[in-house]
Amino acid sequence: MLEIALFAVPAGLVILGALIVVFAKNPVHNSMGLVLTLASLAIIYITLNATFVAMVQMLVYAGAVMTLFLFVIMMIGVDKPEQTREEIKGQTLLVSGTLFILVGIISYVVINSGFKWDLYFPAVEYSLEGTPDLIASTLFTEWILPFEIISILLIVATAAAIALAYDTKARKQK
Amino acid sequence: MIEVSTDWYLTLAAVLFSIGFIGMMIRKNALIMFMCIELMLNSVNLTFITASKHFGTIEGQISVFFVLVVAAAEVVVGLAIIVSIFKKQSSASVDLLRTSRG
Amino acid sequence: MESLILVIVFLPLLTALGIKIISKIVNELLINFLTINSALLSFTIALGMFALLLTNKFEPMHLEFFTWIPSPEILFEFTLDGLSGIMMLLVTGLSVVIQVFSTSYMSNDENYSKYFIYFNVFVFSMLLLVMSGNFLVMFFGWELVGLSSYLLISFWSKKQSAAKAGNKAFILNRIGDFGFLIGLMLTLNTFGTFNYEKVFSEVLNGNLASLDIIVVCFIIGAFGKSAQFPLFSWLPDAMEGPTPASALIHAATMVTAGVFMLVRISPILQFSETGKLIIITAGLLTALIAAFSAINQDDIKKVLAYSTISQLGFMFIAIGSGAYVAAIFHLVTHAFFKALLFLGAGAVIHEMHHEQNIHKMGNLKTKMPITAAMMGIGTLAISGIPPLAGFWSKDEILASTFANGGVFYGYWALSLLAAFMTAFYMGRHWLLIFHKETGNDISEVHEAPKAMVRPLVILGIFSFFIGFINTPFFHGLEKVLEETLHYVEITHLPEGITLIVLALISIGAGFTGLLLAYLIYIVDIISYFKIKIPLQEEIKELSSNTLYLNKLGEIIFVKGMKSFSRKTAVVIDGLLIDGLVNKVSTVFYNSSKRISRSQNGLVRSYVVYFGFFMLLLIGLFIATPWILN
Repeated sequence: MLEIALFAVPAGLVILGALIVVFAKNPVHNSMGLVLTLASLAIIYITLNATFVAMVQMLVYAGAVMTLFLFVIMMIGVDKPEQTREEIKGQTLLVSGTLFILVGIISYVVINSGFKWDLYFPAVEYSLEGTPDLIASTLFTEWILPFEIISILLIVATAAAIALAYDTKARKQK
Repeated sequence: MIEVSTDWYLTLAAVLFSIGFIGMMIRKNALIMFMCIELMLNSVNLTFITASKHFGTIEGQISVFFVLVVAAAEVVVGLAIIVSIFKKQSSASVDLLRTSRG
Repeated sequence: MESLILVIVFLPLLTALGIKIISKIVNELLINFLTINSALLSFTIALGMFALLLTNKFEPMHLEFFTWIPSPEILFEFTLDGLSGIMMLLVTGLSVVIQVFSTSYMSNDENYSKYFIYFNVFVFSMLLLVMSGNFLVMFFGWELVGLSSYLLISFWSKKQSAAKAGNKAFILNRIGDFGFLIGLMLTLNTFGTFNYEKVFSEVLNGNLASLDIIVVCFIIGAFGKSAQFPLFSWLPDAMEGPTPASALIHAATMVTAGVFMLVRISPILQFSETGKLIIITAGLLTALIAAFSAINQDDIKKVLAYSTISQLGFMFIAIGSGAYVAAIFHLVTHAFFKALLFLGAGAVIHEMHHEQNIHKMGNLKTKMPITAAMMGIGTLAISGIPPLAGFWSKDEILASTFANGGVFYGYWALSLLAAFMTAFYMGRHWLLIFHKETGNDISEVHEAPKAMVRPLVILGIFSFFIGFINTPFFHGLEKVLEETLHYVEITHLPEGITLIVLALISIGAGFTGLLLAYLIYIVDIISYFKIKIPLQEEIKELSSNTLYLNKLGEIIFVKGMKSFSRKTAVVIDGLLIDGLVNKVSTVFYNSSKRISRSQNGLVRSYVVYFGFFMLLLIGLFIATPWILN
């Protein structure tokens, strides 16, 4: 019972947050919805024994990235309300078509498997704990190359952000 | 006794992904489209962690790390681009960018 | 020894090349010297080869020139047996005589050397045809003969009628060649070889597959070359060419190529009842139509042209009745007296300063006695008066037809009618030119030059005596052709009293024809006795217009083809094909314009496309096992 509740509540919050992101009018509401989603996801991670990742998610995603989003929204996003009428020709048709196929596939899969939900987590004597030392021991030995590459990626991203936002005219005027 | 199984988590990830995708198709505001991308990335993260628990390895969680880092970098660069484009036009609508028209 | 065959065949070609080379720098005399000497040389060697053949009892000699294709084996080979020996002698001998005549007839013509070049090319091609050892070499000769004939007919190419006549001859020939070519291909397909011996032995061993079709195809070829119905209208028009050329080509050699070819394939022909029926029917029709048309012609050469067609019809009747020896016999005799008649006509035309209408001549025997006498011999020969040549050969044909019995009695009767008509129009021809007292001015006319008269005399002597090579008492020609026609069933003459009665009947027909001609045209008994011949004017009109067959052919084929090709060009080519191609291109253009509208540069459209097709793909993956079941 507890486990189901422990799954259902964060799951429901995730869905709710996602729907808020998609359907809200005010961009700030959108960001708040996203924060809700991220936080609920972190809780779900903890139930899945990925504790370190959950922490990192809260710190990086919900902390830094969302803050960035809010800054930019404040800068440019809130002036005009968005038009709800679809302007692109044929977009509605295609979107409905896509949704139709999506629903079709999902229902097909569900019906074909006969409503069986039997993919269980394996019953092991110990369950994997996502502790920092376990992660670190794999990350810094086997996965050292991707680790180095993404650190370069981060530096490149930073440099790119500075280059893109650099206002040469304002600089020169100074 | 109903047990919480892998299926449930995977279904949740799928639903989250679909919602993000639909949001991408519907919304015109560039920032909100970006947020929908984040939703999709997060659903992928969830799938990875579920798989990690299901197969009993730690690789899944390490992959989540990488996805996280890449998402962060992408957000940085993307927002910078959005800012520099949208300084020119007053509205934040994506539909006004039609220069690569065929 | 066999390689002398090569000399005989290729010497005229070399002569032609030689004349071409030296033509610009020498005068007529040297050309005469060259061409007559080479012709004499060819003839002498031919005589020698024939003598050799005679001593060998006419066993065939073969000569393989070279191997052209190794598999299926196609060689370039020559055969010298009785049949080709006779033709060889005929061609080379007549070549000498007619070339001597031509030196005088064509003198002062501006294209003198060109004439002899074409002449020699023709002799070469005819020799290639008769001395061939397989169907392919015969086909080469066949085509080349058609070409040389075209060149010679349209010799005076500035005249439009000559050019058109040349075209007509070539085109009608071509239709025949089409048949020959199909026959060739069928032969190769059925028997795997072109060689005569091999094909004949296959058939004689009982392999009769697709024989009728092959034979009919070859018969079509023979029709084109030998001017049978319906491919005969080119021969009267071919009289536009120089008269000696007509003498050689359209009297003696080219038109007999069809007859020669049919006798050559007689081992196969004898098994095809359809083929023989077609041959005899066409031969009969041709003989009758041509004889009828000759009755009222005005041109001196056209009468002879129709006469040739008619006599060729006789040869075809002979082949159809199974009398192959008779056919070749008639071929030989006809060559001599027809060449004689043509050369005589040439002499007359030359002396009358190229006047060709016989009603403008008359009583020429007083001015040109030798020519008149020789033409008289020719006329008597063709009418079948003994002991001249024509009697023996024509009588043999008629008797052999009679000997077959049944429906062939009817054929015999009709052939007799044709023989009667032959005598009639030839009598009219000679009488109107040489005997009849008209008021025309002939004071300028004198006897032809020696170079023209002497060949006439030679041919006249031959026409007189050549008949004796195959009388019922001395079967000389039959012995010559015995080896060639060894496996062929020949229709033999009836014996005893039947033969004599038949002979008397045909002599009677000949005499009656000549007598009737004399009565009508000289004594003019029609107006004398005021005999009313019904439809006299209509008959005359029908005759001079060849039963309007030419007009019919022109309307159907020439005008029909022109309008059909115009319709094809406009409708099928213009509307359908062009329209189709244009339609394809416009369809592509429009559809690509529509599709390019999907590239609108909007992110959201692309996202949708992406998602849509991705889901489609996933759906496909999921649904595949279900579909495969």
